[in-house]
Amino acid sequence: MGAVLSLTPSYYEALKRLTLELAGVNLGADHTFLIETRLSSLARTEGFDSLTNMVEELFNTGESRLAVQVVSSLLERDTHFNTDMPSLNKLEDVIIPQLHPIHKNGTIRILSFGCSSGQEPYCIAMALDKAKEKYADLKFEIVGVDYPSIALDRAKSGRYTHFDVQRGLPIRDLVTYFERDNEDWVVKSKIRNMITFEETHLLSNLDKLGDFHVVMFRNALPHYSSPAQVRVLRGLATLVKPLGYLLLGSNETLNHINFGFDPLALQKGVFRKRQEKVEPVIEDPSIKKPNGRKTFERAKRNLKDVDKFTQSKTG
Amino acid sequence: MTSCLVVDDSRMIRRVASRILKDLKFDTSEAENGQDAIDQCRVDMPDAILLDWSMPVMDGLSFLKELRKEPDGKTPVVVFCTAERDVLKITKALDAGADEYIMKPFDSDIIESKFQQAGLI
Repeated sequence: MGAVLSLTPSYYEALKRLTLELAGVNLGADHTFLIETRLSSLARTEGFDSLTNMVEELFNTGESRLAVQVVSSLLERDTHFNTDMPSLNKLEDVIIPQLHPIHKNGTIRILSFGCSSGQEPYCIAMALDKAKEKYADLKFEIVGVDYPSIALDRAKSGRYTHFDVQRGLPIRDLVTYFERDNEDWVVKSKIRNMITFEETHLLSNLDKLGDFHVVMFRNALPHYSSPAQVRVLRGLATLVKPLGYLLLGSNETLNHINFGFDPLALQKGVFRKRQEKVEPVIEDPSIKKPNGRKTFERAKRNLKDVDKFTQSKTG
Repeated sequence: MTSCLVVDDSRMIRRVASRILKDLKFDTSEAENGQDAIDQCRVDMPDAILLDWSMPVMDGLSFLKELRKEPDGKTPVVVFCTAERDVLKITKALDAGADEYIMKPFDSDIIESKFQQAGLI
């Protein structure tokens, strides 16, 4: 017997479209289960009697704070420590050694873009702590950004469950860099202090973040719609300093959309920004530039269209 | 096929862990305490050992110390799998020669992740 779903099909479609419009992310075919599980918990936290009440409130009032909370909950990724190690190792084995001689006695800024519950920036900080003698003449600033969400709150607290710390984290790292607090494990302050977490709409203007020697955006690109991929990669290009690095997942490329990066030979997923400013290369003719439309209004119109369609089918 | 000896005084835990390890393509065998495990290792040294801490007759830590003294006893990768979560106890296990450490309760993701960390997968 299938699980009982509490929302009408039109609301599922409207929420899926809202996520696509606001964040450029396609939830995929199994979105009903995702919406039920993620949003039921948010509805309780927000003080609603039911998921239906929260979603009705969202679409009746169009309250932007609630819209952001809903979309952020739907975007939370199930992230683990040391995900995609071959790619993570490129930071330590390829990128930092190349930046080191150029920035001796300086500061290297690293951005974890879409950091979710923070495992990636904490892994970077632990790796750099292990290599601190090698890079004694360097300072590191690590910034983790994502939508405001429960996941980002967890990242800021550095608090992880018994299950979280056993997925991908070597036991020696756990005893070295975490403290036990009842059933949870909390990242020690010397590692937490290496990282700043900031709430950011990933498709917004990112200038306030400053620029970085390394931007990490691993294994998230395929979840974005084609126009959103253009937008997010254009945003990231403005964040990377000339001759800085963009680190994608091991199997990700910039073949179709490239805002001035060159792939590093024999290093999958590592791209270096060119010195000179160049026009973007967008090879897919189906991809149009985002036009800044009022996305929430459009999602509401979509909801009405779906309701009309549902009524015509059932009535 | 990589062999793994599952050592736990709970028959149910041995069964659950063995099932997970078989799904991960390990050839498994079982022992219900440290003495039983050391006897089996003397006959046929496994590639890996999933080891409980608190057991009658001989506990996991005593077994590990004995194992590492055996000829070829340094070969098996040992992953503790125990309800002990105290940092001092974890450190004691690592100092005695454990390669990885699982805190119960566990699931298949945790066993897979820890066996990957230990280089077994």
